[in-house]
Amino acid sequence: MTTITILIVGVLFSTSVYLILQRNIIPILFGFSLLNHAANIFLLAVSGDPTGKKAPIVTLLGESYVDPLPQALLLTAIVIGFGVTAYLIVLLYRIYLSHSSTNIEDIYND
Amino acid sequence: MTNWIVLPTILPLLLGSILLVWRTPSVQRRWASALTFIGLIAVSKCLLWKTLSEKILILPMGGWKAPFGIFLSLDTLGAIMVTLALGVSLAALVYGFAQQSIEDEHPMRIPLIFFLVAGINLSFTTGDFFNLFVAFEIMLISSYSILTLEIKEKDVRHALPYLAINLIGSALFLCAGGIFYALFGSLNFADIAQLSAGYANDPRLIVASLMLVLIFGLKAGFFPLYYWMPNSYPSLPTPLAAIFAGLLTKVGIYVIIRIFVTVLPHTLLAPHQFILILAVPTMIIGILSALTQRTIRGVLCFNLVSHIGFMMVGIGILTEQSIAASIFYMMHHVLVIASLFLITGVVYRISGTDELESGGNIWKKAPWVGVLFLVQALALTGIPPLSGFWGKAMILQSAIEGSHWILVGSIVIASVLTLLSMIRIWFAFFWRDNPSTTLNLEGTGWKWMSLSAFALVLCTLVIGFAANPYIRLAQQASSSLFDRDLTINKVLSSPDIKSQSVHSESNGGHH
Repeated sequence: MTTITILIVGVLFSTSVYLILQRNIIPILFGFSLLNHAANIFLLAVSGDPTGKKAPIVTLLGESYVDPLPQALLLTAIVIGFGVTAYLIVLLYRIYLSHSSTNIEDIYND
Repeated sequence: MTNWIVLPTILPLLLGSILLVWRTPSVQRRWASALTFIGLIAVSKCLLWKTLSEKILILPMGGWKAPFGIFLSLDTLGAIMVTLALGVSLAALVYGFAQQSIEDEHPMRIPLIFFLVAGINLSFTTGDFFNLFVAFEIMLISSYSILTLEIKEKDVRHALPYLAINLIGSALFLCAGGIFYALFGSLNFADIAQLSAGYANDPRLIVASLMLVLIFGLKAGFFPLYYWMPNSYPSLPTPLAAIFAGLLTKVGIYVIIRIFVTVLPHTLLAPHQFILILAVPTMIIGILSALTQRTIRGVLCFNLVSHIGFMMVGIGILTEQSIAASIFYMMHHVLVIASLFLITGVVYRISGTDELESGGNIWKKAPWVGVLFLVQALALTGIPPLSGFWGKAMILQSAIEGSHWILVGSIVIASVLTLLSMIRIWFAFFWRDNPSTTLNLEGTGWKWMSLSAFALVLCTLVIGFAANPYIRLAQQASSSLFDRDLTINKVLSSPDIKSQSVHSESNGGHH
């Protein structure tokens, strides 16, 4: 399970870096969105292998459950990520409006 | 009184929210925000005085026991930084009032300044790695908004590099937090400090610590990571540029001091040497770039980068004396660079340009602006007995004691070139006669602007001429950072309120 998570994180990170380095603001937007997810899943992987563990609800029966703390952190990070992505979309839209192009070269040579 | 730690964060958040609703700019709104800052400065002075006797103040949020709950803690360094942050913000706020009439004021400007200050203060008071992340995000999201708030439509593009680099920084910050949690099972600074002692040679910790240098170096403007800064800062209105330049970079430096001195083991050599190696090009290339700039703000931005290098030297050497030197230098630099940005705004207002080629005549027509600039320029360079001299002398002393001769050479070269870059501004705008420049000295706005810049100049003069108590303050801050056992004991043995009530509840369940 951990191996799969690591692979997913790796693929997400490399895809997002590829997208961020593109010359168009639309792939850049998706790149940052993916980068956010990559970091979030990395944080999820920190809570360890979840196989055979319950959700973190304490029942006094002594069942083993996954570490809840990384998930709490993750929730906070997701919310912050939402806010920043919303801001990024508006910013890119305003850049598009003022330069009527989505190409980075056109925008910065304008 | 310990509960007061939360005030520098909560009050700005509260007032910011109120001002979001109380939208229309008015004289009362301006008074309310300025008085809040004055009250907060009084609170932070009390807190600073308190930390001198108690070393570290601790506030467990919600009463949870040490490594489990969120922790606010404030030591002398944190209290110094909170006071400075509030002081600089107040000066910039009042300066903004003088610069803009009430009709021109953007209704979102003051609330956003409050949110920014809340984020900055939270990162100075937090005792927890994840809370630090949240503080950084509050600070960054406010700074993104401030950056694009009053920007010209064409310049919106300059916000994208700033946003991009900080988004990457935030993603890495989250990953570094994950690595720390995986290694130590805790995110509390004191807890990590206790657990990390045996990990000095662990490659995972070395990688995580280098990631931290990268993340906070990005914010502070270390050598290869500063290219975003001179592009994004000049598009800001002057008072906001002063807050950004004076405070945001210092938050990066503060966190590096906090983490490498109080949290991670000192025997971890890789990041310290990395910081020392990066310090040389930061100082030299930063100041050489300053010499090639054509606007005052460009020169100041690269001076800012170059002087971050001086603080890096103190951090990299990592003795009690060198950290004290960095702290003192930081105190001086926050005030000097912020006031220089404010003075630049006055110069821009009266001569209508900030291009070095087209300025002139100010010394004849408005000598007091010239005096303000000259004092700060010489303080930045480090001419005795101004504040920069003591900071540089302390950093040089630590570098000589450690026999780091390359660093000693770079510091001296960078200081001399700083003087040269300041002389260029002085000559271009103040000293020479330029018949093609006409100064606009009408109105009283620029006089009030100079007055609030003068308040900061006065602070640096006090630090320079009465340096002894401030140097001792920096030394005390540094020595309490190095006194790790005290911090660990105090945090981890703090009163245990919540777990008792949980126990009694679970007992009740059994019956």
